[in-house]
Amino acid sequence: MAVEVRIPTVFRRFTEGSGAVEVQPGTVGTLFEQLETRYPDLRGQVRTADGQLHRFVNVYVNDEDARYLEKLETKVTEGDTVSILPSVAGGQG
Amino acid sequence: MSDAGAAEGPAETLVLPADITDEMIEHCKAGRPNEACGILASRNGNIVKVFRMTNATLSPLRYSLDPKEQFAVYSAIEDHGWELGAVFHSHTHTEAYPSPTDVRLASENVPYLIVSLADDPPSVRAFRIVKANWTDAEGAIQEVSVSVLR
Repeated sequence: MAVEVRIPTVFRRFTEGSGAVEVQPGTVGTLFEQLETRYPDLRGQVRTADGQLHRFVNVYVNDEDARYLEKLETKVTEGDTVSILPSVAGGQG
Repeated sequence: MSDAGAAEGPAETLVLPADITDEMIEHCKAGRPNEACGILASRNGNIVKVFRMTNATLSPLRYSLDPKEQFAVYSAIEDHGWELGAVFHSHTHTEAYPSPTDVRLASENVPYLIVSLADDPPSVRAFRIVKANWTDAEGAIQEVSVSVLR
């Protein structure tokens, strides 16, 4: 069993339209490396050029925010679900 | 031909059931004096559910979804086999048109509905914010026609 990564609408143009992608277990960081290898245009979208999570992106491992776990070092095992969420915000002023 | 295209109206229509529209507007009114926000879920392209959400910014001028609540709503949408249909928020004192802040912070590739409480009754319009890169501060505003089924 692999790890399922849920892709938000904003990044699906980089994943050939897929809303869910399967990768191999590891850490959140290695998971993004796998995604970026498979979908090179995703590079720089979820992570910044220096490899950190973009500040407008939240990543959940199962039900937990990865920022409050071990961030990119958070372990991801078989059967886990990882969700990428862009922050949603705006306003009139 | 491209010049003629620029003068045309919205190429996309978002159909909203009346009860969902009313619930969305009610949530926006209840949120005053702050902006209110939420998510509409769709099934096979049809809007089926309003998620009334918390404005984590608690501001009359700005909104942001609470990340944990956003995760819960996205998970519920996934569990039901629905899709993210639209994002909505209110403008308490300005027209239902994307502000520079709305454009700068737009992220999801779905229509953004704006409910203007400056109008009585409130007006509802929808837009897509098209950016070359989602982190760009600027983007093109494309109006999406809103059709309320009453």
